[in-house]
Amino acid sequence: MTSTPTAGTRPDDVRRHNRTALLRRLHVAGPCTRAALAAELGLNRSTIKALVDGLAAAGLVAERLPVQRSGAGRPSLLVLPQPHAAVVLAVDIRVEQVAMGLVGIGGEILGRCSWSLRRGASHPTEVITRVADSFRPLAEELATDVVGVGVSVPGVVRQSDGLVHEAPNLHWTGVRLGERLSAVLDLPVKVGNDAELGALAEHVRGAARDAADMVYVSADVGVGGGVISSGSALRGAGGYVGEIGHMAIRPDGRPCYCGSRGCWETEVGEAALCRALAIPEDSPRGAVVAELRELAADPEVAMRRLGEFAEWLALGLVNVVNLLGPELVVLGDLFAVLPAAVVDWVGHAVRERSLVSRAVGGTRVVTSPLGRDAKLIGAAELAFEPVLSAI
Amino acid sequence: MGEPILELRGVNKSFGPVHVLHDVDFTVRAGEVTALVGDNGAGKSTLVKCIAGIHSMDSGEVRFAGSPVHVHGPREAAALGIEVVYQDLALCDNLDIVQNMFLGREQLRGGLLDEAEMERKARQTLASLSVRTVKSVRTLVSALSGGQRQTVAIAKAVLWESRVVLLDEPTAALGVAQTRQVLDLVRRLAEQGLGVVLISHNMADVFEVADRIATLYLGRMVAELPAKEVTHSQVVELITAGRSGDLGMARPEAATV
Repeated sequence: MTSTPTAGTRPDDVRRHNRTALLRRLHVAGPCTRAALAAELGLNRSTIKALVDGLAAAGLVAERLPVQRSGAGRPSLLVLPQPHAAVVLAVDIRVEQVAMGLVGIGGEILGRCSWSLRRGASHPTEVITRVADSFRPLAEELATDVVGVGVSVPGVVRQSDGLVHEAPNLHWTGVRLGERLSAVLDLPVKVGNDAELGALAEHVRGAARDAADMVYVSADVGVGGGVISSGSALRGAGGYVGEIGHMAIRPDGRPCYCGSRGCWETEVGEAALCRALAIPEDSPRGAVVAELRELAADPEVAMRRLGEFAEWLALGLVNVVNLLGPELVVLGDLFAVLPAAVVDWVGHAVRERSLVSRAVGGTRVVTSPLGRDAKLIGAAELAFEPVLSAI
Repeated sequence: MGEPILELRGVNKSFGPVHVLHDVDFTVRAGEVTALVGDNGAGKSTLVKCIAGIHSMDSGEVRFAGSPVHVHGPREAAALGIEVVYQDLALCDNLDIVQNMFLGREQLRGGLLDEAEMERKARQTLASLSVRTVKSVRTLVSALSGGQRQTVAIAKAVLWESRVVLLDEPTAALGVAQTRQVLDLVRRLAEQGLGVVLISHNMADVFEVADRIATLYLGRMVAELPAKEVTHSQVVELITAGRSGDLGMARPEAATV
C-alpha cells in the first residue's frame, strides 16, 4: 500500500491492496478457484470477480473451467496465473559458477543458463558483463519484457542499495553490485545474501511453507544459514545474520580463511565432505554427488564413512537450534544430497541433545526439495516483491 | 576416489585399410563433464560409436564401474546404462515427447500401453531437470525448437537412469539462447552424478561446462587434462598439431628414435 500510517485510506488504495494480495496468493500457491479465493482472502465474491476481471484484462491471469467438479451447481472458474505476463531475472552468483534464470509469475523457470567461474579469480566486472551478455538472448527467446532483477551473492549484502560489503569466497569487497547491474540492464535490481534467499525460497515454495520459524543451512564451498523468524527474515544490524559457518566449534581445528580456527565450515563444508568421502578436495560437484548417491544405497556403510562428519553436523546444528529455536531446519544445496540415513541420524541427535528442540516439541531436520535451485528461486522471489504490488 | 565409471584401454579400430583409432585410452568419471575434442576425422564419433556398441572394437579393453564388459550392440550398452544423444538426435518427428522418450521400451499394463504411467514419468523427468519450457509432454516433436528437441533427447537419458551419457555435438545447430540452455542442462546432468561426455567443436562451450578435456588427434588420444589446467590456445594447438609445449605427443625427433 502506498498510504502512510498518518494518511487516511482511499478506496483506490484498498483496491490496489486487494489486487496485490490476490496476485500474491496466486503467485505463491498456484491456480485456485474464484470461490476458494473469496474464502481465503475473506472478500466478497463480487469483489473477487472485479479483481480477477481486472487482472485478466491486464493479461496477468486466465480463467478456465476446472476439470474436476466439486459438488453441485455451476462450477467456480479456476484462476490461473500467466507465467509470461510478468517475468523477472534471477541471478545466483556462487563461488564456482553463476546461474541465471528467467522466472515467471507462479515461480516457473522459463529459461536458464549458467557458466563456470574460476575460484577466487572472478572480477565483478567480468560477472556483470557476462550477466548482461547472457540476459539478452534469453529474454529475446521468451519475447517478454523483464520487469525486475534479483541477485543472490554469497556474502554480506546491504539490501537497500545492493552493496556487497564482503563476499570472502569470491574475494569481493565493497562492490556496488546493485547499482552497476541496474545501470547495465536498465532494470531495478535487488541483491540479497544467498542463505537468506535460500531460506526465503524454502519458506515460499519449499519444505518450510508451513513453518513460521525455520533455519536454512546450506553447504556450497562455504556454509551459510538463513533464518525465518515469526514468518519474516531475521537480518540483524546491516543484514549480517547468517554467517553460521563461522561458529567456532573446534578450538584445535583447522585454520579458516576468515582468520579464525576450527569454524563449523572447516568441519562440514564441501572440502570436509570430500575428506570424509576420501576424494580429492577439489573434486567437481558432480563427483561429490555421485559418491553420496552411491553411499545412500547402503545406510550402514554411509553411517560408517560419514559418522564423524554427521557428528560435527549435529554438533553445529544443536548450537543453531539452541540459539534460534526453529521448529524446522532445512538442509540445502550439497547437504540436500546427504544419504537419508545420515540426515535421520543428525535429526535424531539434535532432538536428543538440544534443550530448545525438546522445548518446542522436537525440531525437524529435513533436506531441501529445491536442491541447487533454492537460491535462484529465492532471488526471483526477491525481485518479485516490488513487482507484484506495482503491476 | 572410486573407480571411473567407464574406462577404455588400448582401443583400436580400423575400417578396412584405414586405421581410425590407435591405442586410445579414455576415462569417464561419474559427476564430471569430459569434453572430447578433435578435428574433423580425428575419430571422435567413431570412439563414441565404439562405446555405444554400434562399431565393434578390433582390440582393447572396456571396464564399466570397475568390471570388464564386452558391448556387442546398442541394446547392451543401454542395458549397462550408457546412453548416446546423436548429432541428428534420432527422435521421431511424427511422435510426441512421451512416445519418443519410451520408444522401443514402452511400458505395458495388461498387454496394453500404460499411457498414463509413461506420461507421468516423462513429466516427472522433465521437472527433475527443471525443464519448464515444454508446454505439454503430448506435443509432437516436429513442433519443438532445436533446443527443446535436444532437451527431450537428453531427458530420455535421465529417464532410463543412465550412468553415462554421451552427447555428440549437442549445440551444433542451435542459436545462442538455446545453446546456453542445453549447456546448462549438460552441467546439471553431471551435478546429478552422471558421467557426461560432450563432443564439441566449440571451445567456448567446452570451457563453459567441461571438468576434463580429452583431445583426439589423428586417431590418437594426445591429452586428457583437467579444464582448469589448460588454456583455450593450448587446446586449439593440441587439436590442430597434436601437441602444445610439453603437452600432447612427443616431438617427432624423439618419436622416431
